[in-house]
Amino acid sequence: MTTATTTATRSGRRWSSADRGPLLSTAFVLIAGLIIAGGSADSYFGSVVILALTYAIVTAGMAVQIGFSQQVVFSQSVFMGLGAYGVAVLNENAGWPSLLALVAITIASGGVAWVIAKAVSRASGLALAVATLMFPLIGFGYLSYANWLGGSIGFSLTGTLWPGAASATLNGILTVLIVSAVVFATTRLVASDIGLELYALGVSENTAQAMGVRTSRRRLELFILGSVLATLGGAVYAGTQLFVPPTLVQATAELSLLIMLFVGGRRSVLGAVLGAVGIQYFTGISNTISVHILLIEGALITVVLLIEPDGIAGIVKRLWHRAAPHLPFAALAAPEAVLVPSAITGQDGEAGISGELAIAEETQTSEFRRHFAARRADEAAATTTLLEVRGVAKEYGGLVVLRDIDLTLPQRGIFGLCGPNGAGKSTLLGVVGGSVRPSAGTVNLAGEDITRLPASERFGRGVSRTFQAVHLIRGRTVLDNVAVACLRSQRSSLLRGIVISRLARAREDAMEALDYLGLGELAYREVGSLTLETQRMVELARAMASRPSLLLLDEPASGLSEIQRERLRGVLRAIGEVTCVLLVEHDLDLIAAVAERILVLESGALVFTGTSEEFRSSELVNSLLIGASPTTTLGGEH
Amino acid sequence: MKLGNLIISGIVTGSIYASFAACVALWYRVSNILNLAVGDFAMIGALGVDNLVRVHHWKLAPAIAVMLAAVVVFGYLYDRIVLRLAQDGRTRQEGIVVTFFFTFALSFFIEGIAELLYGTDVHAAPAVWSGQSLSLGGGLHIDRAGVLVVAFAAVVGIALALVLRGTLQGKAIEACGENFFGARIVGIDNRKYRRLLFIVSAVLACVFGILESPITGYTYNSGAAISLTGFIAAAYAGFQKPGKAVVAGLGIGILEALLGGYVSANYADTILYALLAAAVLIRPSAMGLDVVLE
Repeated sequence: MTTATTTATRSGRRWSSADRGPLLSTAFVLIAGLIIAGGSADSYFGSVVILALTYAIVTAGMAVQIGFSQQVVFSQSVFMGLGAYGVAVLNENAGWPSLLALVAITIASGGVAWVIAKAVSRASGLALAVATLMFPLIGFGYLSYANWLGGSIGFSLTGTLWPGAASATLNGILTVLIVSAVVFATTRLVASDIGLELYALGVSENTAQAMGVRTSRRRLELFILGSVLATLGGAVYAGTQLFVPPTLVQATAELSLLIMLFVGGRRSVLGAVLGAVGIQYFTGISNTISVHILLIEGALITVVLLIEPDGIAGIVKRLWHRAAPHLPFAALAAPEAVLVPSAITGQDGEAGISGELAIAEETQTSEFRRHFAARRADEAAATTTLLEVRGVAKEYGGLVVLRDIDLTLPQRGIFGLCGPNGAGKSTLLGVVGGSVRPSAGTVNLAGEDITRLPASERFGRGVSRTFQAVHLIRGRTVLDNVAVACLRSQRSSLLRGIVISRLARAREDAMEALDYLGLGELAYREVGSLTLETQRMVELARAMASRPSLLLLDEPASGLSEIQRERLRGVLRAIGEVTCVLLVEHDLDLIAAVAERILVLESGALVFTGTSEEFRSSELVNSLLIGASPTTTLGGEH
Repeated sequence: MKLGNLIISGIVTGSIYASFAACVALWYRVSNILNLAVGDFAMIGALGVDNLVRVHHWKLAPAIAVMLAAVVVFGYLYDRIVLRLAQDGRTRQEGIVVTFFFTFALSFFIEGIAELLYGTDVHAAPAVWSGQSLSLGGGLHIDRAGVLVVAFAAVVGIALALVLRGTLQGKAIEACGENFFGARIVGIDNRKYRRLLFIVSAVLACVFGILESPITGYTYNSGAAISLTGFIAAAYAGFQKPGKAVVAGLGIGILEALLGGYVSANYADTILYALLAAAVLIRPSAMGLDVVLE
């Protein structure tokens, strides 16, 4: 196979994307900033750039929070105001040096954000978005009449950021250093394993949770990060502009920040920084623009969203991808030509996916393969109890969906779950997976009561799942989609992602899982470009990548053709030899062919349990699921 | 008597919030977009009519007719160009970006137009029904403009209820709210309702602005606050129950008037927004917000 070549490209990739990007971005900002600040800070141009850089601190945080992780808030301008007024008051009224005030207020803002976000961390991000929409109105409404803060005029201070700086140069250099540090930290975070968690959270909270991501904790941390950086930006603003107007907090200021983010590129830190500088620069140099700023910004944000949702960064990226193959160093940058592996297409006849698994067994090179080989060899696994569901019931406001379900599954084998639409199959899968809390009963996994654990915690205990509709993370590669399931960062704080990234390790594990299913050659393809069958296989690889003890599959065959289902059978059989699979499926032939025991659910109750032979010949099953005699519809073993 | 009069003025503004809330909730059902610009249509209606009458010496009736027509045209074009591209076009977008940012930008765009055309002073459209405020006995008064606002809100409320409950169109709108894609599959063109309800909301807002402006007066950036309050009232009803949204809108209007009368005239709005934000933060589940995005 191609293991050697993929390993080679893999390590090359890893270096280019994860480690060099943050350094390059930071170096660019640092050098460009120092040239401008050092050379012309006292000129009008220099002063506009320094002002723009204070906004860039804020938008870099927004790129992580709002763009990359899609957690929308409208409170940045208010936290900017907190930083600016905080420094102004501490400097002017309490006599603190501005730099010390900056540190104090930035730390304090983390606490403020924590209190606000804690209140809503249990609910969806929408509540936070709605609540923060009102923050600029509250802030501006208060400041306009707050005489001790200068009321509607504003508040002046004397302490420059660089203590006693006579010229703007030292202030400018300090600002550039702060911006560079922020760019370094945020780009590192985004490129880290925790960055992958955040991206997954942004695409789908449910999927992220099922892959072990503690979503409410991450949302909380993101809100704190965005708020702290906004405060820092405001503090730098006060220390460099020496005047803080209440309009800094207005809703229109929030709009301006969003414009900078969207024009520059909401998912790119560097884009957001350049967006801030560009917008601020143009409003600074042109009177016409600053007079009609609302009209222009309102129209601009609409146009950018319609034409290129990822802003200028998105356009540059697109041009780069188009140009890269023609450049002299194309070999480094161009994505490798990817062929759909024979194991998936089955084009070379016999060598299907089960053949691929046979190879895996022989070589046993990876830890991943050794793990499953050991599982396969474990003879007790087929009889030792893994999952125990006792007396589970679920009601939705009087509507009974599940009643008194008892279910015991061993550590290995495929167990089919079928029933008519609305019988409660997906709900039962949800109860086992942790996305649905039962009204009564208990769920035990390997002797431990997991009834009250959320999906993300169950994932850590070996429960893994796929979804009825494909839930892949759009915009990321196949490899990253699988790597989400291989992360070990769930218990680490957001800050750890800035310091150390273990994404490379997770990608290696993911690669093993992909190789195991014969999907290794697709690793660097974007998931949106794949066919439904391959997407389902990637989802299966993701579910397997965490080496689950219990695999929950929700209609893996839906949407697949007859030939594709045939191939899926081979894959399922192989998986069933190494782990316990609870398979919900409408394709009765498929279930009868692969499951060693089949359960039938009807109106929320288990009405049948038996082998596939008993299943085929059961009057009850046939009347319930087919409405015909057994011989006519249910086909024999293929 | 102070209390009674405050409640009356609260009901007047509350009925505007309530109507806006119903519009926001209804439109969210068919479009999955939160209309953050509805208040700006009220503002532009009031300022536009004032400008035509005061500066260009038009008569009131044609001025109102022209402004309403302008809003209809603008609403139609905005839907055809922006919303169509955003939701049906090649670069179709999903999720929270569409939910918030297009109308957020629209709100500022309209403010920008108003600033350009009408400046930054506070103005009001001429009273449609001029004269002294009406006495209700016992020292209670209500502005004639207030009577018109409440009456118009009642008409709008009853009309919306009748359409939703009694007609096939209403059922179709309900269906869009129940299941966006399901409705599309059974042949309900939610794009049509998205356009229709957007224009209807804009026109209603415009009428409310013209009727109410003699009481409070508007400037180019008055709209956002009204939108937000209506939006919160709609949020309280989980964007699903226009009836509950109406009650919430009235309640917020009365609360605002009482805060202004008894607590602080300067800080009435600020305290109100703080209370609303706190309500969202502390009890998001009661606001129905946690289910909206699913």
